[in-house]
Amino acid sequence: MSWALLAYAARRIALAVPTFVATTFLAFSIMHLAPGDPVELYLAGGLASGDAGIRAEKLADAERAKAELRRELGLDQPIPVQYLRWLGGLVAGDLGRSFKDRLPVWDKLVERIPVTIGIDAAALLITYLIAVPLGICSAVWPGSRFDRVSTGVIFALYSVPGFWLAVMLIVFFGGGDYFAWFPPGGIRSLEYSSDWSFATKVADVGHHLALPLFVTTLGSYTELSRYLRSSMLENARQDFVRTARAKGVPEWSVVLKHIGRNSLIPMVVILAGVLPGLISGSVLLESIFSIPGIGQLGYQSVLARDYPVVLALFAASFGLTLLGILVADILLALVDPRVTFGKSGT
Amino acid sequence: MRLGFPRACALALSLLAVSCGGPTEQKQDGAAAQTDPNATAAQAQPTSEPPVRGDWLVIHTLSDPESLNPLTANDAGASSVLGWIFPPLVYVDPATLELKPAIAKSLPEVAPDHLMYEYTLREDVTFSDGKPVTAEDVVFTLKAIRHPRVNAPHARNYYEAVSDATALRANVVRIRMSKPYFLSDYQLGGIQPLPRHYYDSENLLGDVDFRELDKYDELPPDKKERADRFAKQFNENFNRNPMGPGALVLENPGRDLVTGERVELRRRPEPFWAAGHPELNDPYVARILFRVMNNTDAALVALKAGTVDLMGVRPVQFLKQMGDPKTRERIETHEDASGSYTYIGWNQRRAIFRDKLVRQALSHLVDKKNICAKVMLGLADPVESPIYPKRPEYDTKLAPWPFDPAKAKELLAKAGWADTNGDGVLDHDDGEGGRTPLRFEIISNSGNDDRKNLGLVVIDEFKRAGIDASFRAVDWTILLERVKSFDYDAVILGWTASGAIPPDLYQIWHSSMAVEGGSNHISFMDERVDSLLTQYRTEFDAVKRKALYDQVQEILYDEQPYTFVYAPRSLTAFDKRFHGVTWYPAGGSLESEWWVPSGAQKYH
Repeated sequence: MSWALLAYAARRIALAVPTFVATTFLAFSIMHLAPGDPVELYLAGGLASGDAGIRAEKLADAERAKAELRRELGLDQPIPVQYLRWLGGLVAGDLGRSFKDRLPVWDKLVERIPVTIGIDAAALLITYLIAVPLGICSAVWPGSRFDRVSTGVIFALYSVPGFWLAVMLIVFFGGGDYFAWFPPGGIRSLEYSSDWSFATKVADVGHHLALPLFVTTLGSYTELSRYLRSSMLENARQDFVRTARAKGVPEWSVVLKHIGRNSLIPMVVILAGVLPGLISGSVLLESIFSIPGIGQLGYQSVLARDYPVVLALFAASFGLTLLGILVADILLALVDPRVTFGKSGT
Repeated sequence: MRLGFPRACALALSLLAVSCGGPTEQKQDGAAAQTDPNATAAQAQPTSEPPVRGDWLVIHTLSDPESLNPLTANDAGASSVLGWIFPPLVYVDPATLELKPAIAKSLPEVAPDHLMYEYTLREDVTFSDGKPVTAEDVVFTLKAIRHPRVNAPHARNYYEAVSDATALRANVVRIRMSKPYFLSDYQLGGIQPLPRHYYDSENLLGDVDFRELDKYDELPPDKKERADRFAKQFNENFNRNPMGPGALVLENPGRDLVTGERVELRRRPEPFWAAGHPELNDPYVARILFRVMNNTDAALVALKAGTVDLMGVRPVQFLKQMGDPKTRERIETHEDASGSYTYIGWNQRRAIFRDKLVRQALSHLVDKKNICAKVMLGLADPVESPIYPKRPEYDTKLAPWPFDPAKAKELLAKAGWADTNGDGVLDHDDGEGGRTPLRFEIISNSGNDDRKNLGLVVIDEFKRAGIDASFRAVDWTILLERVKSFDYDAVILGWTASGAIPPDLYQIWHSSMAVEGGSNHISFMDERVDSLLTQYRTEFDAVKRKALYDQVQEILYDEQPYTFVYAPRSLTAFDKRFHGVTWYPAGGSLESEWWVPSGAQKYH
C-alpha cells in the first residue's frame, strides 16, 4: 500500500513538472505581451515622472538610460530566453529582484507571507470551529427550527458582499463618528513594541484583526456546513449506521464516529483546495483594512508591471494548487480505504 | 512642504493621476498654497506658551515609498520622507520665498556670467553617524547623479548644465555651469549632500573625475569596472537604509520601515547641528510616522479615532464628513489653493485641432464655473494660464474664458465647419473632395473620477454643438504610451507647479519638446513662444522675466492649445492638539514647526 502510494505520488509529481512549466510560461508570456512597459513606467520622461520632462537635447540620454535599465532588468532578451533565465533562477532558489525597489523578491514575500498565512489560517480555524458543529447539528436535527434558522442566517451572511460590509464596519465600529470598538486598519498599534509581553501582543493584533477576520470568514461557513450536513445525512441512511444503532452503540458515538468520520472525507478535499488560497490573500480586504499582505503586494505589483514579483506569486499559488490536489488525493487514500493507487486503480 | 525643492523647478504632471485624485499634494513640494498670504498669522493658533518638544506626528500616506535612495527614488511618497533626512545646501524660505542657507554657510558666490558657483559649507554640519559633511560629499553627490549607470535620469536632467564640480577646500565646493540659467541658484542650492563614506564606502568613484563621466565609455577598463560596480551597488543596496545629515533618521529599517504599514523617522541623537531650528527642518515632535493606508475612508476614520494626525482629504470627505461637532472638537481642516491644474490637451498633430478657431470654440464649450461647482463640489477654481495664480509671474490681465456656445458655433462656422450631410455632426472639406466629420475621442486615466466626470460633462456640451466627441478612461500605462507617441486626439491630464520656485514653462511649451517622450505632448509649435521661453531662461531680472511671461501667457490664452480647466484645492485635516501650524503662501505648512503642549501629548 505505502509503496503504491509513494509510486503514485512520484508519478504525480513528475507529471506536475511539465504542467507547472507550461502554465508559468503561459503566464509569463501573457504578462509580457500585455500593454504597459515597466521601463517606460519607471523612467518615462516628463509624463510619468511627476516631475519635469526630459529635455530634447537629453533625450538620447533618456533613451540610453532606458536601454541600460532594460538590459539590467533582462528585458532586452526575447521572451523565451527571459523565461528560461527565470526558470533557471527558480530551480536554483533565486526568484530575482523586484523591478520597483530592487529588493530580492524572496525578501518581499517573506515580509508579507506570515501576515497573510496568519490571517488565513486563523480564518480557516474559525470557519471550521463554527461550521463543523453547525453542520453536525443541522444534520442531527434536519428540518428543525435550528436547522432552518441557521441555514437562513448563514446564507444571508454568504450573500453579503464582503467589501461593502468591510467599509460599513470600519465606518461604524472604527471610531469615526460612531463606536470606537475596533481600529480602522492595520495589523497592530502604532505604539506596538517588541518589548511588550506575549499576551499584550496577541491582544493587540487580535484587536486589529477582529473585523478583517469577521468579514473573511462570513461567507465560508455556508459551504462547509452545507457539505457536512448533506454528507452526514447521506451517511445516516447507510446500513452500517443502522447496524451500529441496532447493536446499541450510544447515539453520540453513532453521530460522531460512524457518521461523522465518514462525512469528513469531503472536508479533507475542501481543506486541500484551500491550500493555495492560504497564501493568495484577499486583494479587496487587504486593501480596505490596510493589511500589508500578499494580496495587496500582488495588486500593487501588477499595477507597477513588477514582473518578477507577479510571477513569483503566480508560481507560488500555482505550485500550491498542484500540491493541494496531490495532498487531497493522498489524504483521501488515508481516510478512505476504498481508494487505491494500483496501476489499474484510479 | 519641505525644506528641499531641487526637483520642483518646472511644472510636473500631477501624481494625482495615479492616486485616484486623492489630495495628497500638501506633502509634495510646494504643490499647495494658501489663498491669502496675509492670513498666515491669523491661521496660527493663539498660544502664549513657548513650543515644547515631544509627541509624535502621524501622517497618512496612500502608498509606501518605493525606494528611499535619494537619487533613484522617483515618487512623491519617497520625497516627503527623504526631505527630513537630506536637507539641501540652500532652502527657500516659505514665508518670503527668499533663498536662505541651510548646510551652506551663506548663499553662494556667483560669477558675474552666472557660470560659476562657490558654496562654503558650515563646518559643524554632520551626518547622523557623526562624520562631518564636506565638499567631497557634495562632489560625490553630483558625480553619482551624473553617472550614466545610476538610475537617476530625472535628477541627472536637473543638473545637466553642470560642467564640473570640484572640492576647493574641505568645506568649499566649486561648480561650473555650461550655460547660464536663472534657476541654477535654486537647482544647485537644492543639492542634498550624500555621505560618500556610506554610499561609496570603497571610494570606487574616488579617482573618477566629474568630467570623465560624460565620456563614460572612454574610461580606462579598470576605472570603468570600478565605476560600474559602484553603480550596481548604489542602485541595489541603498533602497531601505538612507543616511543623511537631517534631523530625523531611519534608525532601524527592519523595525521602522514596514511595507504597507509605516515609515517611522526618529530624532537623531544630540548634538544635532540644527537643533532648535525648525526652519532647518528640526521638528519639535520626537517622531514622524508615515502611516500607509491605501483606503482613504479608513484613513479618515483613523484620523477621527486619533491614530492619524494629518492627512489630505477628498472633496466629498471634506464637505460631508467633517461637520459634526464631535469631529470639529478634535479635528481642524484647511483649504488651500493648489499649484496643480487640470486641462484638456488638444493633440495638434491631429488636423482638426491645428486650427486655432476650433480650439477656441472648444474652450468656449467648457463651462469651467459649472464644472468647479458640480464636478469639484466647489472645491476648485477655474484657471486660464499654466502659471500658479499666486506666483508674481501670473498674468492678472487674463479674463475668465467665457462659456459661450453661441460664440463657439460662430467660430466653428468661421473655420469652415458645417453640417452639410444632415447627420447632426459638423463636417469640413478634407481637401480631397470629401468631408471629414468633427469627431474625436478624449482619453484620461482610469480610476480618476474627477477627470471622468469632467470628460463626460464636456462631451455632452460638445455633442449639443454638433461635435461627435466621446470619452474613454484607459489604464495609466496605456495612457502614457499613447500620449507619448501622440497616438490620441485629446487628453485630460494635470500638471503640478511649485509655489516656492519661479516657473519655467520651457519643458511643456517649447517646440523642441514636442518629440516622442517630451513634455510638449500636444505638439504645440509657436515661434513667438519659443523665442520668449528661451530669453526667459537666461534673464536674471525678475521684473523682465515677468514681462516675458505675460507675453507667453497672452499667446497661450489666445491659442488655447490646452483648455485650462480648473485648479483643485488642496484639502487637509489635522489633529487640533498641534500648535504652531502656519500655512505659507508657497503652499502647505512646515511640519517641523508643529508642537504639542506637554499636557496634551499623546505618545511618549
